Amino acid sequence: MIEIENVTYKYPDSEFFALRNISLRIEKGEAVTLLGPNGCGKSTLLKLINGLVFPESGSYRFDGEEITHKKMQKPVFAGKLHQKVGFVFQQSDAQLFCPDVYDEIAFGPRQMGLSEEEVGRRVSDCVELLSIGSLIRRSPYHLSGGEKRKVAIAAVLSMNPEVLVLDEPMNGLDPRTCRWLAGFLKSLHEAGRTVVLTTHNLDLVEELSERSLLFDENHEVAADLPTGSLLDDIELLKRVNLVDECWRGRI
Amino acid sequence: MDNRPPELPGWMTGEEVYIPGKDKSAFVNKSILSVLGLLSRIKTQDTKAASKYMPHAVFMVFGTLLLVVLLSFSRGFTFPMVALVYLLVLLAFMDGRAIRSILKVSLIAALGSALVLLPAALNGSAFTAVLITGKVFAGITAVNLLSHSAKWNDISAAFKRFLVPDLFIFVFDITVKYIYMLGDYLLNMLYALKLRSVGVNRNKYASLSGIGGNLFLRSSEMAGDMYGAMECRGFTGKYRAVKRFRISPADLLFIGANLAIVIAFIYLGRVKK
Repeated sequence: MIEIENVTYKYPDSEFFALRNISLRIEKGEAVTLLGPNGCGKSTLLKLINGLVFPESGSYRFDGEEITHKKMQKPVFAGKLHQKVGFVFQQSDAQLFCPDVYDEIAFGPRQMGLSEEEVGRRVSDCVELLSIGSLIRRSPYHLSGGEKRKVAIAAVLSMNPEVLVLDEPMNGLDPRTCRWLAGFLKSLHEAGRTVVLTTHNLDLVEELSERSLLFDENHEVAADLPTGSLLDDIELLKRVNLVDECWRGRI
Repeated sequence: MDNRPPELPGWMTGEEVYIPGKDKSAFVNKSILSVLGLLSRIKTQDTKAASKYMPHAVFMVFGTLLLVVLLSFSRGFTFPMVALVYLLVLLAFMDGRAIRSILKVSLIAALGSALVLLPAALNGSAFTAVLITGKVFAGITAVNLLSHSAKWNDISAAFKRFLVPDLFIFVFDITVKYIYMLGDYLLNMLYALKLRSVGVNRNKYASLSGIGGNLFLRSSEMAGDMYGAMECRGFTGKYRAVKRFRISPADLLFIGANLAIVIAFIYLGRVKK
């Protein structure tokens, strides 16, 4: 479903590589976690998967079709990719721009030209799924961090994407909400959704995905292993500066 | 809150069959590109490595101000020509991308001023029109050279040495910082709008005004946070720039070049030739 081959990427006017020789393949229905120290290129890779940035060299294919800057200039092609790949930003604030939570969740389905009745059904299903019924008429800006994250996820889910891409979804959430979100993502994955996410919460990684990719500070993939094996390799995690000697591994 | 994973509704378990309608997204794409350009520019400025061949920012700021003032006071063609040659020599020390960017801005500004002065030129004041256009080109090139070769924080530290009030320097520093931070935030909002604009959006301007409002709220929140943080750290209104420097050979060379420019102005600039 997602095929990335030898991708290298630099931000405009930057001398430094954000991604270096990245190759990976994610099959339909897989759940994959990207791990690595801060600034190693995880978020950039998520942007690449969403067609927001494009490889300087190498190629990115989604469902067999190469995603290029030229193709993404065509609204129909871009719209199709953006419907299939839903992106939940690290900063939920930046993702929410509608006057209230209802409009926020309805934004995508309305864009897709669904009837207002269908839009209402999707909104109420998403609201129920994420337990945010009491927020429906509130302004997204005034919600707490956890509530904003849930609204952001609902706003993406209402478009029914095939792939759900989440950039640090556990960031800033209390432990209970973190665990709830992990369970929720797991149920989405069990229902056949492809889930790609980044996280620093090593306690929940195994629950979230069966496979993990580890990035190093050189912006390269240092390991692509089953999550359990990766978390057991403490020396590897130390070498890429993800953990220090105080980290005792999995309990 | 029930911590059990929820059951998914039927429409979410099946595949979505969706063919998007045609819609124009040029405005969002262009906004993304311009914000991205601005952010890269600030970031490049900030990560610039200090070079021993580069004069200190204090001298560069002084030299730029001096050149702009002398250009404004010059009455003939000769001095602006000398200044342009001097600027071209300085430009030759920059990398290709910076040269392109500096010349692009200068040429656009010069072209703009030439268009404004066109009626005057057609009415017989061609000399003045060409002179002013040349001065605009040289002035903008000088300022752009400064902005491409010195870091923002070095420029603001240089202001301190010219006895510019603390408040002005503080506002300058904070403005640059917040242009970057809010720019980054705006970029993410535009990305979010682009990602969710999967079909025909009849209310593009409503979404954009939502982004504007969100940005305003965010900036006011950040300003409040910063005020609180400053209070907590005992800010009294004094802004100190304590950067010591030793005069390097590059500084001496730059001072020499500026002295030559002043001498050129005294001999050539005041006469209408």
